[in-house]
Amino acid sequence: MKNKIIKPIFFLGMLGVVLATSCTKKVDDAYLNPNSPVIVPIETILPGVIGGFTAFFSSNGTGYGVQADGILLGRYIQYWGTQSNGELYGQMGFPVGTASDNTGGLWAAVYYGHGGNVNRIIEWGAEQQKWDYVGVGNAIRAWGWLELTNCYGDAILKEAFNTSLTQFKYDTQEEFYDSCRVVCHRAISYLNRTDGAVSQANLAIGDAFFYNGDVTKWKKFVYGILARSFINLSGKNNFISKGYADSAIKYANLSLATNADNASVKVTGGLTSAVTNYFGPFRGNIGAIRQSAYIADLMSGNNTQAFNGIPDPRRYYMLRENLNGTFKGFTPWLGASGVGASDYPRNFWGTTLPTSTAVPSPDSSRYLYQNTSPWPMMTASEIQFIIAEAAYIKGDKPLALTAYANGISLNFDMITTTYPQNVPTVFAITPANKTAYLTAVVPGVATSLTLSQIMLQKYIALYGWGVQQTWTDMRKYHYTDIDPASGNQVYANFIPPSGLNLISTNNGNLVYRCRPRYNSEYLYNIPELTRLGALNTDYNTYKTWFAIP
Amino acid sequence: MRKFTNRLIAILFFMGPLLAQAQAPVTGRVLDEKGQPVVGATVLVKGAKSGTKTDANGNFTIDAKAGDVLVISSVNFGSQQTKVKSGGNVTVNMVAKDGTMDEVVVTAMDIKKAPRELGYAIQTIKGSEVAETQRENFINGLQGRVAGLSVTPTTGTAGASSGIILRGFNTLSGTNQPLFIIDGIIVDNTTFNSNSQGGSGVGLASDGNNRNIDNTNRIADLNPNDIESYTILKGPEATALYGSQASSGAIVITTKRAKLTGKKIAVTYDNNFRMQKLTRFADVNNEYSAGISNNTPFTSTTATGSFTSFGPKWPAGTKLYDNVNNFYETGFSQTHNLGLEFGIKNLGFRASGQYLNNSGVVPNNFYKKYSGRISNTTKIGKYITLTPSVAYSYADNKKPTKGTSSYLMSLYQWPANNDIQRYQDDYGAKLTLFNANPNADFDNPVWSTKNNIMGDITRRWIATMGIDIKPFEWLNVAGRFGYDTYKTDGYIMIHPQSFYLTAGTLGTLENYYTTYKGYNHTITASAKKEWKGFSGRLLVGTMWQDFETQQYAVVGNGIADSVVGGKIYKYGNIVNSWNPTDSNLTAPGSRVRLQRAASKGLPNLKIFREIAYFGEVSLGYKNVVFLTYSQRFEKASPIPPKNNNYNYPGASMSLIVSDIFPILKKGEIIDYFKLRASLANTARLNDPYTNQRVFVPNQSSSTTPGGTFTYSFTNNNPDLVPERQSTYEVGTEIRFFNGRITLDAAYYNTLNTKQISQGFRASYATTAVLNTTNAASLRNEGVELTLNLTPVKRKNFNWNINFNFSHMWSKVLTLPESIGPLNDYYNSDTYISNVRGGLIRGFSTGTITGSTYQRNPAGQILINAGTGLPLFNGGNQLIADRNPDFTLGTLNTFRYKNWTLSFLWDLKVGGDIYNGTDQVLTRIGKSARTANRNNAIIVDGVLNDGLQNTNNPTKNTIVIIPNFLSTYYTTMPDEEFIEKM
Repeated sequence: MKNKIIKPIFFLGMLGVVLATSCTKKVDDAYLNPNSPVIVPIETILPGVIGGFTAFFSSNGTGYGVQADGILLGRYIQYWGTQSNGELYGQMGFPVGTASDNTGGLWAAVYYGHGGNVNRIIEWGAEQQKWDYVGVGNAIRAWGWLELTNCYGDAILKEAFNTSLTQFKYDTQEEFYDSCRVVCHRAISYLNRTDGAVSQANLAIGDAFFYNGDVTKWKKFVYGILARSFINLSGKNNFISKGYADSAIKYANLSLATNADNASVKVTGGLTSAVTNYFGPFRGNIGAIRQSAYIADLMSGNNTQAFNGIPDPRRYYMLRENLNGTFKGFTPWLGASGVGASDYPRNFWGTTLPTSTAVPSPDSSRYLYQNTSPWPMMTASEIQFIIAEAAYIKGDKPLALTAYANGISLNFDMITTTYPQNVPTVFAITPANKTAYLTAVVPGVATSLTLSQIMLQKYIALYGWGVQQTWTDMRKYHYTDIDPASGNQVYANFIPPSGLNLISTNNGNLVYRCRPRYNSEYLYNIPELTRLGALNTDYNTYKTWFAIP
Repeated sequence: MRKFTNRLIAILFFMGPLLAQAQAPVTGRVLDEKGQPVVGATVLVKGAKSGTKTDANGNFTIDAKAGDVLVISSVNFGSQQTKVKSGGNVTVNMVAKDGTMDEVVVTAMDIKKAPRELGYAIQTIKGSEVAETQRENFINGLQGRVAGLSVTPTTGTAGASSGIILRGFNTLSGTNQPLFIIDGIIVDNTTFNSNSQGGSGVGLASDGNNRNIDNTNRIADLNPNDIESYTILKGPEATALYGSQASSGAIVITTKRAKLTGKKIAVTYDNNFRMQKLTRFADVNNEYSAGISNNTPFTSTTATGSFTSFGPKWPAGTKLYDNVNNFYETGFSQTHNLGLEFGIKNLGFRASGQYLNNSGVVPNNFYKKYSGRISNTTKIGKYITLTPSVAYSYADNKKPTKGTSSYLMSLYQWPANNDIQRYQDDYGAKLTLFNANPNADFDNPVWSTKNNIMGDITRRWIATMGIDIKPFEWLNVAGRFGYDTYKTDGYIMIHPQSFYLTAGTLGTLENYYTTYKGYNHTITASAKKEWKGFSGRLLVGTMWQDFETQQYAVVGNGIADSVVGGKIYKYGNIVNSWNPTDSNLTAPGSRVRLQRAASKGLPNLKIFREIAYFGEVSLGYKNVVFLTYSQRFEKASPIPPKNNNYNYPGASMSLIVSDIFPILKKGEIIDYFKLRASLANTARLNDPYTNQRVFVPNQSSSTTPGGTFTYSFTNNNPDLVPERQSTYEVGTEIRFFNGRITLDAAYYNTLNTKQISQGFRASYATTAVLNTTNAASLRNEGVELTLNLTPVKRKNFNWNINFNFSHMWSKVLTLPESIGPLNDYYNSDTYISNVRGGLIRGFSTGTITGSTYQRNPAGQILINAGTGLPLFNGGNQLIADRNPDFTLGTLNTFRYKNWTLSFLWDLKVGGDIYNGTDQVLTRIGKSARTANRNNAIIVDGVLNDGLQNTNNPTKNTIVIIPNFLSTYYTTMPDEEFIEKM
């Protein structure tokens, strides 16, 4: 009888003890996510990070990078406009008071798309002695700091990547420039290493769609970032006295020299958005965009103050014809208004009906607007223009002239070799028309060269892909600064929106920065935004440090 | 947007249970010393273990033969015996122990207690009361029956889910749903989550959001006819013993067990038929033709703008269709219940079955359910009782997908001159309205219900085992073991010609399964002792929970090979329908799977485990003072191991004032007067893995085999600690006039600190987009009153009214400093257009934020001096508070002889409503408020001319005619669509 009672109780008691001890361990075992890795080979991280230069594409977020922002920022600098009249960005506005992440793509790319992923490449790369990966990680970080501050001005630097903070202090653009250069030199020192597990073949696994494991080219890219960091200060009074001009030339000379050195993000192409170019017809993002009147006139010889009467053979590549077979464009804040039916440019994919936003069949897209176009991040041509500008300001006119001519020539060559697709043979660039153009736009004597010529040729050479850099260039010349040599604007005949066409919230001022990404900062980093004035409706007009002499 | 739930008129046919009995029973009545019936007294034949209970009139029926001895017992009356005489009815007069007529209630851990011992609020509902409401999702039947409980059905479709909230929102981003416990076993009530966090969690491979898809909450698998009673444990005091899982309260379900004794069989059958028709729709203005703006007729060949009605009035004679009414069908549901009870000596069995078939008001929507359950009570020897049960259910739910807006919205928008019943051509292909490209033309709602479909089948087993060992009168050892498992197979298919896809996609199909395996057990030992007027009880126990969800999902494109000339081809044949359960239909290269499937070929997992130990000491004095103290120690898997051991206390007190001061009972006004107070803490956890940074697939171009990876949205938080919730509650129970009036009143005050915010959007400088962090605190207070009146109480007629009143108020105390003083914290699943349930410091937890009019300090609306239109503040400002002033459930029950009629009013007073329907209708020119658009108006306000903030602002005198300025309608701020109740 007693056994009948005691046994079950004893059994239950023992069961309890046994279960309890094993249970404690089982609870701890169940903590970690069993579905997804927390450590992956850095070779598998780098491809996504490289995709994050242009248009990040992961299961947790897409589109971060320079391309989506570029479609909007390109209206500030009048690379293009949309079909609608009174369009916000055409009027140099930004989405005041609304929950929009527009022009926040770069912010997301630097802090999120690259952020922790680049940190792991650097950290785990060092543990595995893959110094080439560590160097590449630092190169991408340096690029991020420079591009980020150029776009947003003040941003988070010292506290960046502190995963346990919930609010962040902002740092100044000057500090970003300093940090960028420090990180550049760090990148170079790692890229110089050949010890440990450094291997071109192994770097090529992660780097297949950028430099394919070539650290020499990565170094040139880093020197290019340094060169940019100095030339961006050309509007500053101490540009020469501080040696910035010399530094710009020095690093430019170490940077990309030939088109083979060009830094570009490539895609495999295919039937998914992830592997097709953001500007291409498959993704359908730029159907409503049309070239601006400014670029169309500039490249057609219709700018009365620059290259007047000299049609540019590159226009058949970069721009699109209208029904007349000529090149006209939109005024960004007016859109299609006032453009005659036969002047109405076709979209960049060349759809027959000019007003159409659709994709033509068969695909006849050219230049950067194809599904598999490589997307330049920096070109040898741009580097030559950096030398030209610095040398010109320094007073070394002969060097400036040489670099200016090289810059144009390199750009012609890049277009003809990389982007010849779908350009009718009759309009193709030939050695003859290239030479003719160069002869027409390159002055015979160095003293005849103007700053305006240099900056406008750079404006053309960066068309489409170099939106962010061109915006920086234009801001440091305050859009309408005068070239003392010509007496005209550096950006000849460039007319920014004014009066009713300048968005009223700008209080009469032109745009100088983007607001930080809305969903990153405007929800939950309010105290710091308040300190900076970033909640003001004209925050976009606050001049960035490089634009203040 | 719950549009049609409020607009249902249900026609209820109810056939009462038919009781077929094998032999003639003995009937009787139990009365108290005043001749009033004793309700709920247990009646047993001596020597048997199961018996019956007296009904509301004190009547009972039991199978017994002459000479048997009946044992009648009731908590407040003690026990009494009487012998059955041949053929005669039995009347038993009982003497109350203390004049109260309490029943025993089942509290946490399946512990039965007398209500007088309880220091906290507890409300019990009979299972039959809920079952008789005949709701397809029985949870809806609880609405209005419990003070402080609110049920929210998500949609009106068959198989829709319902949420339950007890005492308001206590957590920012975790679940506010109570825990369900059946016979001491925790059972799953998950609603399938579409979001898989980039394939790293349990969800769909297409990683959707939860706004567009609704799935049944799984407690609906239960058969309400198996339920004897519901005990609602509202406060953490009552649930401290169930642990963090029950921090939003618990619904403790006791199932029916065989009551018969001897070799008798009882069979019950009942059925129910219900029709459902939608009758109330928004006021729509159909006078105007399609047009983008300003009275300009619509001419474009693209769909853009075709669904806005800002064109001219329809020409006279235009044939217009009542598309809304033509779309909805009459819903029909039928339910059949079968019950079987029999017993042999020490064995009692109960078996039950249910068949439910519900076709919804939306075409091609149905919910079918079969279920069966067998339970048993076995007594082994003198000391051991076993109570096993096993239940099976099969639920088949098919429904149209909602896409980005609901059917009702599409129907309102549909041009009135187009008949939605004409939706496909002879080949079954979609007929288009405006755009030759079907993928660019909006989906006709009728076409969509046939072609954009989802469905799931769930097969579920719930097995429970109860073991009670009572070796001595003072000691009881109990074990409750439960295994709850189900598998859901589901699919979501979008037609190749749907507006939601591009032409190149050629249709998508997602196939998935969810397998849930939940094991839990509770083992307790309780000892009691009485000495010198004191009574003591000590309980110690342990609880183990191990819940695993497996999820497999694959989504792919290309259920068609091509669409040529409007004809859809697959494998060379023209097709117009597909077998949506065949995942081989999709193009192999297009398939995306969840992450563990992609890397290892295995389903994704979500595992929750928790081990707990707890103890409770109760002390009573002379049955008039009761003190209870409890402590629970827990270790749970979602919290980082360094913080996952935590514990919390609870204490309560109950004073039977009417017994301490018997003078109160003189004059026969007050029968019973109890005061109670309690104080308790509890913890609340995050969802598993939400604080962990993982790598998710990145689809960028790469040559790396196995793909490329980048970090997920969510940041790591190795320092996460459980949320803490502390509540105190005071209350009273008073009964007057022999129980003709009873009042239960409670005030509670809950402070929630270290609130875990999941999906908190800190700066991306964290390297992440979302964070799971201990972020905020809030306070929740409320008053609950339950008043029960019996105005008429006669032999053959009884009228009872039960009022459940609840008034809640709450305050957000702290939010992260990174949120501005008037900025809101929000949860992204609460977004509708721009409007969301944003929380602001110092305001209630029910606030709604959205865009507002710009106003001067005097509150006048500012008007653009150029256009005459109001100026707006975009973004999210405080615009409304959802919290009602109070809710009042009123349940009337009339009994005439054996007929019962009951009805329930559920009243909600106050609480703002955001009318998103009207906002959308206004923006497309279909709202009734756009009807008089040709009338010239002047917007009431002052011009924004520099004088607006002075004492003499310029009054607006600019005349506008909205018909020629449709921005008047299209830009109205969210504030305009708040309806103050």
